[in-house]
Amino acid sequence: MAVMTFAAIDIGSYEVSMKIFEMSKRIGFRELNDVRYSLEIGKGVYSDGKIDSEMLNVLCEVLNDFKRLMQDFGVEEYRACGTSAFRELVNPLLIIEQIYQRTGMKIEILSSAEQHFLGYKSIAAIEKGFKKMIQKGTAILDVGGGSLQVSLFDKDALVTTQGLKMGSLRIRQRLQELEKTTIHYDKLVEEFIRNDLMSFQRLYLKDKDIRNVILMGDFITDMIFQEEMEDRIITREEFMKRYEDTVGKSVDLLAQEMEIDPEYASLVVPTMVVCRNFIDIFNAESLWAPGVSLLDGIAYDFAEKKKFLKSVHNFENDILVTSKNIAKRYSSSKSHIQGTMNLCLNIFDSMKKVHGMGARERLLLQIAALLHDCGKYISMEKGSECSYQIIMSTDIIGLSSMERQMIACAVRFNNSAFVYYDELYSMGIAIDRESYIKVVKMTAILRLANAMDRSHYQKVKGIKAVLKDRELQMIVDSAQDISLELGLLKDKEAFFEEVFGIRLVLRRKGRA
Amino acid sequence: MDFEKFEKKEYFVNRELSWLKFDERVLSEARDKNLPLFDRLKFLSITASNLDEFFMVRVASLKDQVHAGYHKTDIAGMTAKEQLKEISVRTHELVHVQYNTLNRSLIPALEKAGMHLVAAHENLTEAQSVFVDRYFEDNVYPVLTPMAMDSSRPFPLIRNKTLNIGALISKKEKSDKLSKKDKTGELLFATVQVPSVLPRVVQIPSKKDGDTTVILLEEIIERNIDKLFLSYDVICAHPYRIMRNADLTIDEDEAEDLLVEIQRQLKKRQWGEVIRLEVEDNMDERLLKILKTEFDIKEADVFEINGPLDLTMLMKVYGAEGFDAYKTPRYQPAPVPEFQNEKDIFQVIREGDVFLHHPYMSFDPVVNFVRQAAKDPDVLAIKQTLYRVSGNSPIIAALAQAAENGKQVSVLVELKARFDEENNIVWAKKLEKAGCHVIYGLVGLKTHSKITLVVRREETGIRRYVHLATGNYNDSTAKLYTDCGIFTCDERFGEDATAVFNMLSGYSEPKSWNKLIVAPIWMKDRFLSLIEREAENAKKGLPALIRAKMNSLCDPKIIAGLYYASSCGVQVELLVRGICCLKVGVPGISENIHVRSIVGEFLEHSRIFYFENGGNPEIYMGSADWMPRNLDRRVEIVFPVEDEKIKKELEHVLDLEFKDNVKAHILQPDGTYVKPDKRGKAQINSQMEFCIEATEKAALHKHEEKKSRVFIPAEPAEDIEE
Repeated sequence: MAVMTFAAIDIGSYEVSMKIFEMSKRIGFRELNDVRYSLEIGKGVYSDGKIDSEMLNVLCEVLNDFKRLMQDFGVEEYRACGTSAFRELVNPLLIIEQIYQRTGMKIEILSSAEQHFLGYKSIAAIEKGFKKMIQKGTAILDVGGGSLQVSLFDKDALVTTQGLKMGSLRIRQRLQELEKTTIHYDKLVEEFIRNDLMSFQRLYLKDKDIRNVILMGDFITDMIFQEEMEDRIITREEFMKRYEDTVGKSVDLLAQEMEIDPEYASLVVPTMVVCRNFIDIFNAESLWAPGVSLLDGIAYDFAEKKKFLKSVHNFENDILVTSKNIAKRYSSSKSHIQGTMNLCLNIFDSMKKVHGMGARERLLLQIAALLHDCGKYISMEKGSECSYQIIMSTDIIGLSSMERQMIACAVRFNNSAFVYYDELYSMGIAIDRESYIKVVKMTAILRLANAMDRSHYQKVKGIKAVLKDRELQMIVDSAQDISLELGLLKDKEAFFEEVFGIRLVLRRKGRA
Repeated sequence: MDFEKFEKKEYFVNRELSWLKFDERVLSEARDKNLPLFDRLKFLSITASNLDEFFMVRVASLKDQVHAGYHKTDIAGMTAKEQLKEISVRTHELVHVQYNTLNRSLIPALEKAGMHLVAAHENLTEAQSVFVDRYFEDNVYPVLTPMAMDSSRPFPLIRNKTLNIGALISKKEKSDKLSKKDKTGELLFATVQVPSVLPRVVQIPSKKDGDTTVILLEEIIERNIDKLFLSYDVICAHPYRIMRNADLTIDEDEAEDLLVEIQRQLKKRQWGEVIRLEVEDNMDERLLKILKTEFDIKEADVFEINGPLDLTMLMKVYGAEGFDAYKTPRYQPAPVPEFQNEKDIFQVIREGDVFLHHPYMSFDPVVNFVRQAAKDPDVLAIKQTLYRVSGNSPIIAALAQAAENGKQVSVLVELKARFDEENNIVWAKKLEKAGCHVIYGLVGLKTHSKITLVVRREETGIRRYVHLATGNYNDSTAKLYTDCGIFTCDERFGEDATAVFNMLSGYSEPKSWNKLIVAPIWMKDRFLSLIEREAENAKKGLPALIRAKMNSLCDPKIIAGLYYASSCGVQVELLVRGICCLKVGVPGISENIHVRSIVGEFLEHSRIFYFENGGNPEIYMGSADWMPRNLDRRVEIVFPVEDEKIKKELEHVLDLEFKDNVKAHILQPDGTYVKPDKRGKAQINSQMEFCIEATEKAALHKHEEKKSRVFIPAEPAEDIEE
C-alpha cells in the first residue's frame, strides 16, 4: 500500500479530538485534518465514576461525526483511545459497548503509562535534538485533564515514569467549592498538590540533575502560549511572566483575553500552577513545548508498525531500562536478572516455531525476567505474591494494562503453583483467554530460564534448541558444574511439556 | 493602534441615508436618456424593490429601536427617531422622483415605442372594455375574496406587501319601504386583495396592430368592483398597499432548533406592525382616514402616490416581447479559456490556479466542478457552503447526485439568508433526503463565506481542490452580479478549507490559518493591520496605496483606519457600490480618499482588496464587506491571491473600474455623488469593456486550440442554460 489514511481519536477528560493523517513511505505522515470538540467527560467521572447519558449522547454524536469526517479522506484504519476519564469509569465495559453499538467504534482504554509512552514517542519522532537532549537529565511533563505523567531521562534512556492524579480538570473539580472562599485560587491549587509533589521529589528526584523539561500536550502551546511559541521554547522568565499574568484572573476574563472557550479557560490556572511547581522542583531554566499531542503519538506508533517510518529512537530500550530501574529499586541481583533474561531470550528465539509468539511477547518476557525477583524486597517468603503486587502497582512506560497484567502473572507463576484459566478469576485476576495462553508460555520459558540460574552464578552461557519430532533438544552451553540446575529442572520439564506439548531434553554442549 | 481621533461622529455618514443615495443612483439610471428605454424601466423597478426591502428591514429595525426605547446614536450621532424623520423626508422625495420619471418620461416614451400602459380603466376603448370584463369574469372573479367591515366584522388582516383595493360602500336604496336610517347611507369599509396568483400586468387588444397594450390587474378589478358588492353601491374604490415590520429578530441563544424557529417566524412575519402605507394620491379622504386609523399609522409613513402602486411590476413590462430594440442585448457569458478543452477539470486546476470573473466569464465551470466531482470515482468528499441558491439549482442537483454516488457530501445551508429562509429550508430537506450531511451553521453567526472543497484520492495521496469566491453559488445571479472566484489545489488552501468546515460543524477553530482570513474572529484585525502597514510605509516614504472594492463600507474601525492612513499620506481609492459611511475630502482626515460607485447593467458584487505593501502588492478577495455585520457577526472568508498572472488580472479589473467614466458616480465632500466629466475623454464603461475582453479572450483561445489540430473534433453540445 503506497499511501493510506489513518485517524487517531483521543477521548480525553475535557475534549474529544481527532487527527487524520496520510501515510506513505515517501512522506512519512502528514496531517490532513485536526478537529477537537470541548466535552468535559471528566467532570462526572472524577466525582462518581460515571458518564451521564446526556454526555454520552453528545460523545456518540461527535464520534459519528468523526466517522463521517474520516470518510471524507477515505480513512482505512483508525485507533480511538480513551484516557484518564475512561480509566476511572466504574463501568468502562458498558460504556464502551454502548459506544460501539451506537457508533460502530471500538474504544481502547490506554493505561497511563501507555498514553504517556505514545506522547513521548511523538516527541522523539519530530525532534532530532531529542536524542541529544536526553543524554543529560531530562524530564517530560504531561499535564492532562485527569492526571499528569512525569518521566525522567538520563543518559539516553528513561529512568522512571510516574503518574499523579493531578490533572487540570480534576483539580478544578475538586476545588470547585473552595474556589469561592478564596481570592488566591492559585495558592489553593498549590497547597492541594503540594503533598504529592513533595513525595515525588523525595522519592524519585533526590539525586537527579534535571537540565531540560519537555512539556507534552498541546494545551500549553495552543491555549496558553499561543503565538508566543515560535521557537517552542519557553524560558522560565517568560513562563513566570505569563504565570503572573494569568493566575489572578477570572475564567471569563481569561477566555476573552485569550480568545478561547471558557471551558478551556477554566483549566488554564490549574495547568499553570502545576507546571510552575514542577519547574520549581526541577529548577529548570527553560521549557521545551513541542506542541505534540497524544494523537501524533498514536499516528507515529501506527506509522512505525506499518513501516511507513523508521524509528529514530529505540523505544523498546526505554521500556527495558525502566524495568531495570524498577528491579534496581527493589534490589534485585543485577547479574541474576540479566542472566535469566538472556537465557529467556535464548530459549524464546530458538523455539519460535514451537511457541509462535512475536516481538512484543519477546519484550514482555524480557521485562518479566527483569522483574521476576522484585517481590523479595518486601518478603522472602511471599516473593512471587509481592512481585505480582509490585508490578501491578508500577507504571511501566509503554505497556498497556493488559500487558502489565500478563507480566505480573508470568512472574507470579514463576515461583508459585500454576493456576488454570478458570481458577484465575477466583484469585481476582482478569485476563482474556488469548493473553492467558501467552502468559502460560512465558511462564514456562521463564521457569526454565530461572531454573538454569538457580545458583545465581550464571553458569549457563547459552542455550540452543533444536526441534526433532516431538522433542525439543536443548543444548546447554556451560563449562561449569550445572548439576544443581539440571537436577532442579525435572519438575519444570513437566510443566513445559504440558504447555508446549513436546518433550524437553537437555544436553550439555559438546556431549552426546 | 488607537484611531479614536478619527472616530468623531462628524466624520461619518448615517448608513440609511447613504443607502438612499445608492437608490438614487439606481434611479438616475432610470432617468438616463442615453439608456435603452426598457433598461430604464428595469432600473425604475429595481429602485422600487430596493425601497421595499429597505423599509422591511432597515426602517422596521429603526422602529423597533424606537419602541424599545433605545436611545443610542449611530456612528454619525443620530438617534433612531432622528433617522426615521430624515428617512421619511428623503423617501418621499425619492418616490416623487420615481413617479415623475415614470409619468413624464417613461410612459410617453413607451407610447412612442408602441407600448401603451392604460393608466385608468376609464380610458379603455369599447373593444378593450369587453375584453377586460370578460377577463375579469373568467379569471379574476373566482379568486377574489372581498371583505367588509362593520360592527360584527372587525377590520380584516391585510397581508404584508400585497396590493389591495379599498372601497366605501353603502346599502342599495330599495324603492319601497325605506327607513329613515337607511337613507342616510351609512358607509361601510370593504377591501379586496388584488390576487398575487394572477399576473399584475395584463395584455389587452391594442387599438393599432403591432402595438402592445397592457392594463394593471387592479384597474380591471376596480372597473368591475360593483360585481363584488351586489347589494351595495360602491362609493369609491382605490388601491392601497402596506408594508409590515418583517425583520426577523430571532433570539438564537434560545432557539432550540434553528430550523423550527425560523419556520415559526415566517408565519409570524405577516402579523408585524404596519410601517408604510401607500395609497393613490386621489384617494377619498374618508377611505384614507379609515385606513390610517386601522393601520395605526402616522402621516410621515403614508405615501400618496401619483400612479400605479408597487413599481416592481415594471419588471414584467420589461419582459414584454417584441421590444428588443429598446433593450441592451443580453450578454452571453464567455467560456473560461482554461477550460476550453477536453481536459479533466481537476487536471486543469493541477496545472495552475484558475481565475473566474462573472458574469463576463461563464459560471459553468463552477457547476461543472461539482458535477464532475459527483461523478469522479476518485473523489471522496465534497463540501460546500450555500447561501442563496437559484430555483432548480444545478448545483443542488449535482450535490444530491454525488451523495447518491456514495460521496461524502456536506453542505452548509445558511437558513438565515434574509428573505430566502423558506426557499433554503426546502433545499436543505431535499439534500438531506439525498443523503447529504446538511449543517445549518453556527448559532448567532450567518455563514456568508463562499467556499467549495473537493477531496480526491490520487496516486500521490489525498489532494484537495478548493473554489473560493466573492459571490453565492447561484447560477442565475451569476449572470447578473459581478463576482470573482478562483480554483486552486494549493495544499495550504486545502488545509484551511477543511478547517473552515470543521469550524462550521461546531468544532474548535484551527491553531492557525495558512492563507485564509476568516471572520468573525480574525478578519477585522487583519484588515486593520494591513491598512496600518500602508500608513507606516507612507510615513517611511515608500509607495503606499489601498484600493478596495466592496458593496458597502460602514465599519467605524475600518473607516477610522482609512482616515488614519489617508492622514499619513496613503492614497486610498475605494469602489463602494452601496452604503458608504465614509466622508471624503475632510481636511486632515480624508483628503487622500477617493470613493466611487459603479451602478450599471450588472450588479457590482465582488470584493477585492489591494494593498501596495511598499511595492510588493498583496491582493485579497472574499465574501466580506467592510461592515460590522460582515466582520463581527458572520463567517466570512477573505483569501490572498498569490498567482502572479491572476494578480495582474485583478489589478486590471481595478484599473479599469477606476477609469470608468460612464457608470461611475464619484462621492463629493458634500456627500453627493456626481458622474465624472467626460468631456474630451474616451468613454469607458468598465462592464462593457469586460464583456468585450472576455469574449475576445475566449474566441482567441478557441482559435489557438483549433489551429494546433489536424482534425477538428466535434464540439460537445453546449450545456443547456438552467
